[in-house]
Formats: sequence, C-alpha cells, structure tokens
Amino acid sequence: MSGISIAIIGAALCAALAGCGSAIGVMAAGKAAAGVASEKPELFGKLLVLQALPGTQGIYGFLTAILIMVRIGVLGGAPVELSMSQGWQFFGAAMPMAIAGLVSGICQGKAAVGAIHMTGKQPDASGKGITMTALVETYAILALLASILVLFGIQL
Amino acid sequence: MIVPMKFVTLVLMRDDREAVLRALQKQGSMMLCEQEGAVRAGTENAAALRRMEKLLSDLKPYTPKKGMFSEKPQVDANAFEAPSTADSQTADRMEALLAQIDNAKERQKQLSDRQTALYPWAQLSASAEDLADGAYTNCTLGVVPKKQFPNLTAFCEESGAAVEKISETEQAVYLVLAALKDGAPLDLASFGFQKCTLPLTAGTVADELRRIAAEQNELQKQLDEDTAQLTALTGDSLAPQVLCDHYRAESDIDDAPFLSTAQTVLLCGWVPEKRVAEVEQTVRAVTEVYDLTARDPVDGEEVPTALENKKLVSQFEGITNMFSVPSYGGYDPNAVMAPWYWLIFGMMMGDVGYGLMMVVLISIVKKIMKPKGDTKKLINVLLYSSITTILCGVLFGSYFGETWHPILFSPLENPVQMLIVTLGIGVAHIFTGLIVQIVNSVKAGHWLDAICDQVSWILVISGICLIFLAATRTVGIVLACVGAAIILFTAGRAKKGIIGKITGGLVGLYGITNYLSDILSYSRILALSLATGVVGMVMNMLAGMIQGSVIGFVLSLLIYIVGHVFNLVLGLLSAYVHDCRLQYIEFYGKFYEGSGKLFQPLSINPKYIQIQENGGN
Repeated sequence: MSGISIAIIGAALCAALAGCGSAIGVMAAGKAAAGVASEKPELFGKLLVLQALPGTQGIYGFLTAILIMVRIGVLGGAPVELSMSQGWQFFGAAMPMAIAGLVSGICQGKAAVGAIHMTGKQPDASGKGITMTALVETYAILALLASILVLFGIQL
Repeated sequence: MIVPMKFVTLVLMRDDREAVLRALQKQGSMMLCEQEGAVRAGTENAAALRRMEKLLSDLKPYTPKKGMFSEKPQVDANAFEAPSTADSQTADRMEALLAQIDNAKERQKQLSDRQTALYPWAQLSASAEDLADGAYTNCTLGVVPKKQFPNLTAFCEESGAAVEKISETEQAVYLVLAALKDGAPLDLASFGFQKCTLPLTAGTVADELRRIAAEQNELQKQLDEDTAQLTALTGDSLAPQVLCDHYRAESDIDDAPFLSTAQTVLLCGWVPEKRVAEVEQTVRAVTEVYDLTARDPVDGEEVPTALENKKLVSQFEGITNMFSVPSYGGYDPNAVMAPWYWLIFGMMMGDVGYGLMMVVLISIVKKIMKPKGDTKKLINVLLYSSITTILCGVLFGSYFGETWHPILFSPLENPVQMLIVTLGIGVAHIFTGLIVQIVNSVKAGHWLDAICDQVSWILVISGICLIFLAATRTVGIVLACVGAAIILFTAGRAKKGIIGKITGGLVGLYGITNYLSDILSYSRILALSLATGVVGMVMNMLAGMIQGSVIGFVLSLLIYIVGHVFNLVLGLLSAYVHDCRLQYIEFYGKFYEGSGKLFQPLSINPKYIQIQENGGN
C-alpha cells in the first residue's frame, strides 16, 4: 500500500466516524425534541438549537478530512508523492478527530436529550441546557485542534 | 449596575385596590411580593384566560398561516383594556362553531363505524323485520372462515337448515342461516361459526346504508360551511388574541397578594428607589386616601435584582441572566463581560464576508420582525458582534473563506501563531476576571484574600508566560516562584491544624491544572475560526469545480448561496454557544456569584398582540 492510500483512509475514517457520531447524537436529540414538541410546539426554536448541538462533530470531521485531502493534493491539485511513513502520519493526524468525534457526538446527543427534557419542563432553562450540552463538545474541539496541529506539522 | 431597591408598603381603601393595581400595572415599576396570610382576588379572570388559551390552541388549524418573521398585530390600547362585547360575542361564536365542528366530526365517525359494520350485509335483501323470529323458523346471521364454508353448507343441508351466502371477504364468509324451530340445535361452533347481530332494527340494510350516505353528505356540507365560516372569522378577527391578553393582564392583577381588613387592604412589594416617587404619583392620581411607606431592604431579605446599564452593555444582560441573575448586593458583571463577549465572538467568526452577511440579514430580521425584549437584545448582540467579525476578518485576511492579504497572518497557514494569540486572549480574559475579584475583595476590605487567592495566581501565570520568552526568563521564574510560594503558604489558611494547612497549600497549588485547562479551553477560538474558514473554502471549491458551462455557472451560484448561508448559520450557533461557555465557566468562575432573582414588576405583557397607545401619548 502506498502512502497516499493510508492518508486517504485516514481522511475517510475521520469524516465517516465523526459523521456517525453526530448522526447518532442528532438522532437521539431529535427523538426527544419531537416528543417535547408534540406537547409544546411553541418550543420548536429552542429545541432545534439543542438538537443541532451534537451535529458539529460531523462538520469537524468533514473539515479535517478536507484539510487532509487539500494537504495531500487529492483535492484541487496534483497528488503528492507520499512515503509509507508520511501516509501513517496523516492517518495519525486524522485519528483524534475521528475517534473523539464518534464518541463525543454520541455522548453530546445524550446530554442534549437531558437538556431537551429540561427545556420541556422549564422552557426558561434552555440556556443552561445549551451550556451543559456544549461542555461535551469541548473534547471534540480539542481533538479537532490536535488533528489540525499534527496535520500542519507533518513535513512533506 | 444593580439598581437600589425600596420595600414599599401601600395601604389603600378596599374599593380602590383594583383601580390602583391597574394603574401600577400600566406603569410597571412595582413587583408585588407574598406576605404571610395574604389573600388573592377571585379566579374568574384566570379561568377566562384558560378558556381563551384553549380556544386559541383549538383554533390553530383554522388560522391562516403567518410567515415566520411576521410582526404581532397592533391593537388599540382602549380595545385591549376594555374589550367590546362584540369581541366576546365573536369568541363565543368561534367556540360554538368549534363545538359544532367537533360534534359533526364525532357523528361522522359514528356513521362510518356503522357503515363498516353494515357493509358485509349490504346484499341482504331481507329487512330487519323479515329476519325476526317466525312461527316455525329461526334466522341467524353469522360469519364463518372461508375454508370452513363448504363443510358448514354440507352439514346444514344434512340437518335440514338453509344457508345463504350474503358476501365474502378474503378470509370469511357472511351468511344467513334458517333453521326449523323444533329441529335439534345445530352445533356450528366446530366450523368456527360466529353469530352476528344485525345492527339494525327496521328496514333493509341497503336502505340504511343509503340513509347513512345521505346523512354523511349533509354533515360534510355542514362541516365545510362551518369550517369556512370559522376560517373567515379567525382570518379577520383578533378577538381571541385580544381577549386572551386582556384576561392575562386582569388575572395578573387578581393574582397580586394583599392583606385585607373590612375596609382597607395592604399591598407590599419592591420598587426601584428612583421610581418610588413615580409610583406614589400613580397612586395619588387614582385616590387621595392612601398611605405609602418605603424602606431600605434589611439583611436576609430576598431582594429582586433590576439591572441598569448603558444601552450597549444592557444588550448583553440576557447572556448573564441565562447563566444566573446577579444577586442584589452582588456585582453586575455585564460591563466587563460585554466587550470580551463581543471580541471573542468576532474572533470565532472572523470573516469579512460573513460579517457583512450578518449585518444585512440581521437588519432585515429587525426590520420585519420588530423583536422585543430578550430576543431583541440577543439580536443586537449578534449585530454588534458583526463589527468584530468584520474587523477580525480584515486582520486575518478571511473573505468568505478565501484568504486575501491578511494584515496579521492567516490562521489557516499559520495555525500555531493563531493558537498563541487565542491563548493570549484567554490569559487576558482570565486576568480580567481575577482583577474584578481583587477589586471586589479590596472594596469589601479583604486585602489578604485578594493577595493570596488572586494576585498569587496572576504572578504564577504571567511568570510561566514570561519563561517562554528568552529575554525575560529569569524574571518569569522569579515571578512564578513567588506566586507559587504565596499559594503554598496561604491556600490552607482557613483550615485548622498544621496538617490541614499543609494539605490545603498543596491542594491550592494543584489548582494550576484548573488554570491550565481554562487557558487551553480558549483554543476553541482557533478551532471555530478555522472551521468557519475551511467550510467556506470547501463551498468555494465545490462551486469552482462545476463552473465550466452556463448551467454549471448557475448551479455554482446556488452552491455559493446555500453553502455560505448554511455555514453562516452554523458558525453563528457555534460562536454563540462557545462564547457563552467561555464567559460562564472560564470567566465567571473566577469571580461571579449569581443566584439572584430578576425584578419582574406587575406589568402588561401581551403575548399575541402589540398595544398601540392612542392619542399620541
């Protein structure tokens, strides 16, 4: 296997795993939000914000994947000749975002479910719910940061 | 700034209570509070309010859809305060129509159930009277599984009973069975035969079905008519909305607690110090017979918090209140928080194009929706933040995700430098929080606490920062050591015993990990600004890929518009949420204690309408 294949697998995993995490998280939050909205349709706006929160991991994963593809020249340019070691380096750069994106997306979805239930009972508390849910995202952001820093640190 | 409050006690004649409360409600400066043994006026208005709320929710399917950004309808103040009888008649008419529609729907359901029950017997030529027991025969209706039908027929023929098939479905056969009265009872259960009773007392099934169809037609006509009438009524009358808000205001007055004797009542509540005179004026305008005393709050009383800030800062109050309302006698953090929120929001968005889009879109939303209250404040916060968004965009050279002549550097090409900038912002932000706490401690006379708990940490953190620069390394080391020594020797000062003091000092020093994670947390500014930039760049790239032909060009325009709006909305949500988090946890954690109660005076808060003051006042 050539270096570029390994790098591409990394990019693909990054988008796929983080996307799966977000999909599961948004799905869980969406189910809870739909339940609350059936009783209190006027809360739709607040619920939508809470439901959208676990969606960011998917975007971070996608973003990292695009950055890797730009860096290795698959997107917009000629593919760079990569050694095996460089390929693994790109793979490694993708991993923080891929793994933390998957897990934190699911976990943030669970936190969002709790916040949505709280909003259903106390609509004024939605701000607190947003903050509690956003705390989970910290780790996705740190992972994104780690991925990006490693990515730009790789010598070509 | 937290507004000083007075506790106002108001004694009135019993008869004046309602008029005075109404005047106070209009003025909106007094928050009535619960007293021991207090009573409340009747609950009729509350019941009327519930009735109107129910009517409004029942009316929803019949109300013409309004746009998402439409404004609340304007209603004249007089019409709101004293709704005309025409309004309540309209509401009654709506309720009557709704009841009629409900009844008709119920009847329709009954009819269609009956239709379903009769349908298998549609081909039965005999009338209900014909099927009644004859002199020599019994007629039985029943249903039998299809595959048993031939067996049943054969069995009946043997036993001398007659069977007639009326209809059949995929699984079952409906039949009528005539047997002699004096014959042996037929055991049909083994064939899976189930007896049915015809849901009809007279006439034939076909006649009944025709009658049902006719009635259904009639009902449907009536239903259409009622629905049309109701839709027309809700379309051009605001009666339920006006009445609902009217009763809400009235029931708020009823809900004001008061103490009462045979002739007088006593009301008490909180009024901002500056507005006590206005309140007195309002009362005097209604009645001459009253007694109003105002006193300062005493210790231990739960005083509501009213905030008063300069217009720019006051827009950010909602963000603090969402976390926790400042307590009365506490510190109002809005003035220090607002500029930081503003700056950090701009750094997270950090794009000239998106900043301009924010200005345009938010101006449009403000123009069309004319938001009020907290929503208006939040929208203003976003509008103000568009300025920093544009500024940061120019500094870091980001235009709709494309890099163009950055004044400082481009975060995408130089992420490490950007990381240092964001961590620097974090250190400055945290220092601001610590300095606020120092100022508060010193004001309260706690010099020692300020030095041990805040100054020491400022020394440690600035020392560590200086170590990274070669020129100031020694200074840095000295500062950090001095700070650490202060913490080590003083963090356990409140503990008892020598061991408690030592462990307290060590635990205090361990707090460095909290500060480090707080500072690292600001790296999210970099992550979010990169996310906005890169997603924008991806959209540009996608659009650029298909620009070759005319169709491709049109499609690429679509991608530009949809992509950038999507990215903007997502970016705004993230920036709003994460900026809030930085304020709440990293910043407020250093000095802010909220848990106050917001000052919510007795006032008119219409939910469905806007009240238009009449006669130019």
